[in-house]
Amino acid sequence: MEVSNKSSKVKLIASGVIPFVFLILLVAYIFGPGSELLDLGVPLPEISMEKVDFLNSEIQVTVRNTGPIPVEIAMADINDRIQPAAVEPDRYLERYETALVRIPFEWNEAEPYRIGLTIEDGTRFEKEIEAAAPALEPSFELLGFFAIIGTYVGIIPVMIGLLWLPFIRRISRQKYHFFLALTAGLLLFLGIDSIEEALEVSNESLSGSFNGVLLVATVLILSFLGLYYTGEKLVSRAKSSRITKPVAIALMISIGIGLHNFGEGLAIGAAVGLGSIAFSTFLIIGFALHNTTEGIAIAAPLSREKKVIGKLVAMGLIAGAPAIFGAWIGGFVYSPFTSVVFLAIGAGAIFQVILTILKWIREQGDKNLSSAAVASGFAIGMVIMYLTSILV
Amino acid sequence: MKIKSRSGIMMMSMFVIIAVSALFVALPEGINAQQEDKVFVTHSGAVVKTTGEILDPLYTSATVEFDPMEYLRDFNYGRVSQLADGTTLREYTLVARDDEIMEVSPGIFYNVWSYNGTVPGPTIRATEGDIVRIKFINHGEKEHTIHFHGIHPAGMDGVFEPVGGNGGQFVYEFEAGPVGVHPYHCHVMPLEEHIVHGLYGVFIVDPKEKRPAADEMVMVLNGLDTDFDTENNFYAANTIPFYYQHHPIQINTNELIRIYVVNMVEFDPINNFHLHGNLYKYYPTGTDIVPSFYTDMITLSQTERGIMEFEYKYPGKYLFHAHKVEFSEKGWVGIFMVNENKEGIESEGYGS
Repeated sequence: MEVSNKSSKVKLIASGVIPFVFLILLVAYIFGPGSELLDLGVPLPEISMEKVDFLNSEIQVTVRNTGPIPVEIAMADINDRIQPAAVEPDRYLERYETALVRIPFEWNEAEPYRIGLTIEDGTRFEKEIEAAAPALEPSFELLGFFAIIGTYVGIIPVMIGLLWLPFIRRISRQKYHFFLALTAGLLLFLGIDSIEEALEVSNESLSGSFNGVLLVATVLILSFLGLYYTGEKLVSRAKSSRITKPVAIALMISIGIGLHNFGEGLAIGAAVGLGSIAFSTFLIIGFALHNTTEGIAIAAPLSREKKVIGKLVAMGLIAGAPAIFGAWIGGFVYSPFTSVVFLAIGAGAIFQVILTILKWIREQGDKNLSSAAVASGFAIGMVIMYLTSILV
Repeated sequence: MKIKSRSGIMMMSMFVIIAVSALFVALPEGINAQQEDKVFVTHSGAVVKTTGEILDPLYTSATVEFDPMEYLRDFNYGRVSQLADGTTLREYTLVARDDEIMEVSPGIFYNVWSYNGTVPGPTIRATEGDIVRIKFINHGEKEHTIHFHGIHPAGMDGVFEPVGGNGGQFVYEFEAGPVGVHPYHCHVMPLEEHIVHGLYGVFIVDPKEKRPAADEMVMVLNGLDTDFDTENNFYAANTIPFYYQHHPIQINTNELIRIYVVNMVEFDPINNFHLHGNLYKYYPTGTDIVPSFYTDMITLSQTERGIMEFEYKYPGKYLFHAHKVEFSEKGWVGIFMVNENKEGIESEGYGS
């Protein structure tokens, strides 16, 4: 009995390993004796200028080798005029390695600049800056400024939105479902918005080799799965503890919105950091307006609870405060890669929240989502967001 | 239940690991503070300290593969003999290649197509009425020719007689004329490609009654499109950007300077030549012995050329450059270092 058990185990392992061995042999053959089968064409070098900082009499470019082969940075130019420069730590860049190119240049504020880098084979890469603005130097003053902006954009609007709670509380079950669906509609819009933003950043500042679209999709799905799993855990634990299910759902909504607001903070911080003053003002007003509706999203599930003031404030902070952290990071340590990742995480979080809300409406209601209240709520949610987005 | 929460932890930690490693990839690496600081001064006088490397388009040592200083005053008069009727015969050999890589600016490598291994090719020089015989050998992979500007029979025009690569040969023979400075270049289609890669040079025809003795030099104004986007990445007099700025051309006061200037720039409609602290007599195409202009600025279209003559009165450094400033800031700029002329030093003449 024992012997046969052992041999069946061996068989199990062998049956798992043998295909793997063949796979290794196949790969070894293709790269070894069969390598003439492969004609991958000419690998072209590629670099991406991820960040440009305008300092005192100097322009600094953070450059990354995003091509398939190592490159050497050979020359820098401003507006197509060759300039002596320094490159730190050195001019040789392995794949995905970064370097800092420091170009002494008396630049003028608010003027556009085209920064060019030429590599050893003579290929020139260019990045256009719409308006030069001094790089932000971290200071307590600026830290405070971003905190205030984050508060205006994140916390206050969400809190204002939460004030709709007493109203939602007094309405009928149908109308309550309408508001829940409205929330889902608002969030769906935000989710799509985040994806669009992430793709835009990856298009503008991230090289093709990061596979921007796939990066967004992968991070989005991972964040969705991670949050969905923990969310379900939270909800299922809510049954056996003091947290009720609506509170658990509202908490998940807050976390999702918080991640989204983090992304918004990043966008504002980066816009200020890149000197797009008009654009950053626009973002601040637009996001603030927009985020009021996020308060409704948190208030809606909580409306059937009692003694919620403390919880509401806490959730308002969870949803709103990340805007402050986002602004700090966006303003001081902006990197397009992290922006894309954060925006995608935010989108994943939002889709997870939408699913949670829809499940909850279904459980609470007549086990279907086809009621007029749900459909109209969803649609109106989208329309509201679209209209406020036009203002942005 | 326990197992489930453990898998939950695993799931979350996986998520955290992915997020953290993403950050690691995204954030630029720190700078090694232990390295020694290097200092460099830019053209505008700014002083920069760096722990890294300096990127500067100036060659700091004589590591340059093609020496523009040597090319400047190098004239090839050919192997001279007399024909039966007493006419002078000048024989030259030009070998074309198209497989060489040359470092054209520090750290930047470019595939040059060349006559006798240099861009521009050798400056060929003859006197009006001489018989010029050029043995052309093509060691390139592509077809090439030599098309001379000037007067010659149809069969010697270097257009309809492409010479095959890997050893193909052709002999061009014609009477030198007219007097002046003329370009020669490959005329195989696509023409632009052959010219831009460097298959050109200068052909000078001296008048029978020689021009006055002078310190003579050749400047071919050219551009390099190193990334093949039909726009020049560099401009130069004699190929290497900024070379004569970093290595000033030494001349003497009160000595006649004669420059044979040929514009071979492609893609841009014009090029020009501006001289500081002086004016020059200009002979368009060099076909006349009376100057047409007295100026410090001429503008040249493609393959336009001429002869400039000037003398400096005061010693010191003088700039010369394209007044299309874009070109000068991409390499077409140089300096004349004018030294006090000590008596006894004779002007460098020319002749065979």
